[in-house]
Amino acid sequence: MENLHYFGAAIGLGMIVIGAGLGISKFTAAAAESIARQPEAADKITGAVNLPLFLLEGVAILAEVFVLLIVLMK
Amino acid sequence: MSSAVESGTNAGSVMAQVGDNIIHHVSNSSVDHPLIHLPKIFGIDMSITKHVLMLWIVAVIVSVTVIIPIRRYLRGSKVVPSGMANLIETVIVFIRDTIVRPNVGPRWVNTWSPLIFTLFFFIFFANAIGMIPIFDVLGLADRFVFHTDSHSFLNQLLHGGTTATGNYNVTAGLAFITFFSIMIAGTLAHGFIKHWINLVPHGLAWPVYIILIPIEIIGLFVKPFALTMRLAANMTGGHIALLAILSFMAIFGEMFHSVAAGMGVAIISVPMAAAISGLEIIVILVQAYVFTLLSAVFIGMAINVHH
Repeated sequence: MENLHYFGAAIGLGMIVIGAGLGISKFTAAAAESIARQPEAADKITGAVNLPLFLLEGVAILAEVFVLLIVLMK
Repeated sequence: MSSAVESGTNAGSVMAQVGDNIIHHVSNSSVDHPLIHLPKIFGIDMSITKHVLMLWIVAVIVSVTVIIPIRRYLRGSKVVPSGMANLIETVIVFIRDTIVRPNVGPRWVNTWSPLIFTLFFFIFFANAIGMIPIFDVLGLADRFVFHTDSHSFLNQLLHGGTTATGNYNVTAGLAFITFFSIMIAGTLAHGFIKHWINLVPHGLAWPVYIILIPIEIIGLFVKPFALTMRLAANMTGGHIALLAILSFMAIFGEMFHSVAAGMGVAIISVPMAAAISGLEIIVILVQAYVFTLLSAVFIGMAINVHH
């Protein structure tokens, strides 16, 4: 019972991956669709999607760091 | 992995040592055994640890790589730069036109471009040096050829990882630069008091401000904190994954008490480690780009306030 924090960390990590996967896939789907509608705007769309994409990835990495903190420091 | 090789024959199973070895391999050399011991100044230990040495090495490399070709181009008579200056110009034009100008606005491009270029080049080179296994090769040479004493400079150089930006203190220093740049940018553009007034949007009902002002103040500190942790976590995370995959060989070898099992796992482990190294190269470029982009976006948000 004293190793319960490992269990919590593992479940948390899975949820982080699900969250990041859902968010990034929504972004990519919207970007691909809008580039298909208007190929001339491909650069602008890529530029517009870039920033929130990396912010979301940053959130996922930050959460992974906290999970690692749970595992390493009891 | 030389540290795992060195301590693998000591007491304790491989499984118990793997975690320590991995953490030992990506973190800084210990503060108790720095490379060069310097005295404390105002209570701050000024000893040179491995990440400090790597910061200096990266600074020297970036300076030599950027300053010498550009000086040669400026002194010469050609209009179009060639060679290294051409490469640097391509990168700089890309950064200025796609990162700095859309965010900061045409009036302040020349003010803030040098800072953004410096951040990009420094972070990119500092990340990239972490992927070059110079010190691991030195470790192998030291173990099998030189046999230096265990406290020699060479041996102490081998403890700890070489990715300086994997240390959150280093990236916190870089985020400090961004933090003060945001304030300076707002002050230059709008004046000291107006910059702080611009922190919240105007024209809202007054009860909203009671919640909004603390949130904006917290956001002021959270944004550089996120910059710090994003870069540090990306760099160490990649290295930890790489080392964990390579550790499978030792773990499997011990679990089945046979060397052949360990070598059999190598067929899976080494290609996967190569693939993750390829991913790491992409992550290096992307993380340098993201840090630079977000710094430019935050500086631009302080200059062009349109909520």
